[in-house]
Amino acid sequence: MDSFPDMPTPTPSVAVLFDQFADGVYTLGYRILGDRHLAEDVVQETFIKVIRSLGTYLGEGSIAAWLYRIGYREAIAATRKRRETPLDPDEMLEAGDRPVTSVEDAVLAAELTRRLDAAVARLAEPLRSAFVLRDIEQLSTNDVARVLDISTSAVKMRLARARQALRVELNEYLQ
Amino acid sequence: MTMTCDQLETLLPEFFDGSLNVGQETAAADHLATCTDCRTIVSELEGVSSLSLTHGRLVLPEASRNRIRAALGLNPPPSDAPT
Repeated sequence: MDSFPDMPTPTPSVAVLFDQFADGVYTLGYRILGDRHLAEDVVQETFIKVIRSLGTYLGEGSIAAWLYRIGYREAIAATRKRRETPLDPDEMLEAGDRPVTSVEDAVLAAELTRRLDAAVARLAEPLRSAFVLRDIEQLSTNDVARVLDISTSAVKMRLARARQALRVELNEYLQ
Repeated sequence: MTMTCDQLETLLPEFFDGSLNVGQETAAADHLATCTDCRTIVSELEGVSSLSLTHGRLVLPEASRNRIRAALGLNPPPSDAPT
């Protein structure tokens, strides 16, 4: 028997966490704020807080939920700081914002990506965050509940509504 | 146990989470075997999840990644270039 259930899981270094979660926090920040520069600020502020508070992480819940919760709060705080402007679904991201694909794949995916961006941007914010964390970042339902500080039932309700809205918006691509 | 369309719809989050109990899982499978409308809905919702996973994630641009790493005092990542 090699497992030691009473041993705390070693806390990874900030550099390891940055490599693992920077893209995810950037994705969450962009999906909430609709602005890549503000999303980059969210990444930086999130990891400043991670550096300051990593020692207080007690291993309760996953470290992903702990870290995304900091990122989520930073993104929501940023929405309150800036003048309220609706997301622009047609805002184009730079090529560097997407995973690298072949030229052919990139061309074929461009329209679909644009439509997905627009559809996600049109979701009401509470639905959007739950959807991004669960279906894009692949957190567990329990972890999404921890990040958003809501019940798992509320997460499931938001997910169902978000997925249904996207099913309608993206219907022509789902046949 | 039979399941209605409304009952399946209510359980869709658990269906996609894979957290239905055995009885619910069997009833859902039986319902989907006979209900074309629900099969279509489930298939399209699976499509939404699949598209979101493949097209929804962004990558922090390299220049921004390096700038933020430097601002945080983190060492640069190891280079892939031969030395």
